[in-house]
Amino acid sequence: MDGDAARTGVPHAAVLLAFAEAMLGDDAAAQGTARAALHATLGDAALVDAAALVASFNAVVKIADATGIPLEDYKARATESLRAGLGLDALRSDQ
Amino acid sequence: MLDGQPTLEIRAGLAREVARAWTRLASPGTWWTGAERLAIAACSRSARQCALCRTRKAALSPYGVDGAHDGPTSLDPGLVDAIHRITTDAGRLRRRYVESAFADGVGEPQYVEAVGVIALITALDTFDRALGAGERPLPAPVAGAPSRARPPGEERGFAWVPTCPPEVLAGQAVDPYPVHGAKNIHRALSLVPQEVFNFFDLDVELYLWDQQIRDFDHEYRALTHPQMELVAGRVSALNGCYY
Repeated sequence: MDGDAARTGVPHAAVLLAFAEAMLGDDAAAQGTARAALHATLGDAALVDAAALVASFNAVVKIADATGIPLEDYKARATESLRAGLGLDALRSDQ
Repeated sequence: MLDGQPTLEIRAGLAREVARAWTRLASPGTWWTGAERLAIAACSRSARQCALCRTRKAALSPYGVDGAHDGPTSLDPGLVDAIHRITTDAGRLRRRYVESAFADGVGEPQYVEAVGVIALITALDTFDRALGAGERPLPAPVAGAPSRARPPGEERGFAWVPTCPPEVLAGQAVDPYPVHGAKNIHRALSLVPQEVFNFFDLDVELYLWDQQIRDFDHEYRALTHPQMELVAGRVSALNGCYY
């Protein structure tokens, strides 16, 4: 999930990724540009749903990180090679 | 919300849960009063502009940088530090840090409830920001005392905080598992079961109900499943989320 829209194969990936990245930053001008682009491309309801998604995933990470819950076994097994390739396991420490 | 645009229509379920979340934020919780929950939310907001947090964020290790946090607060200094770290650098929290906070006097259920409050204000403020709305003033506190009801049968070792598995909460007055599911993320706040409801009642409208996430035969939002997962994955990656 490196932000390369062209490699995703998802319709309108570029405006969606730009929106997600802008909303996690603190550049108000970039946020306005990304918001307007998403709205112009996908419309009212998609803007609301994209905003809601960013809100959800910007918040839920704090619950996981602050409580130290483990990854579910089935999820760990299913993503073993992917996690190794991306170095995701290094993002959590039990120490 | 958008320059030159009329106010966006928010779908009914989402509008309802956003309104309820603001009310819950200001209402007496299980371990904190409404005023205290709002103080935690205000502390979390102030962390976003905190100079010490910015310095820690830029440091190779956030645990080698001392100093005082910005922002007025009436809360215990140990809890303030935890709130700031959870808000600004949650991905580098460590078990040892959380356990030392408990040893220094931050109560376990009080910490868990504070995590829920931080998640709630983060979600609410991020939603407003993403729609181009300004930051809302925090609401007035709702009077009343916290219930201080600690479920029996909590388990240690599953996470960094005690948790209550589904079999422990079954039959209790507040049991979120039948409603929201029993993934580990739901169990994370289960030492304070009402806090699971407080966050996930909102979250299922922001994102999806658990059973909808892998229902690829139906679309529930204006974005498709792949579009939703693209946004979700990018936000998680930017936050360094292991989960």
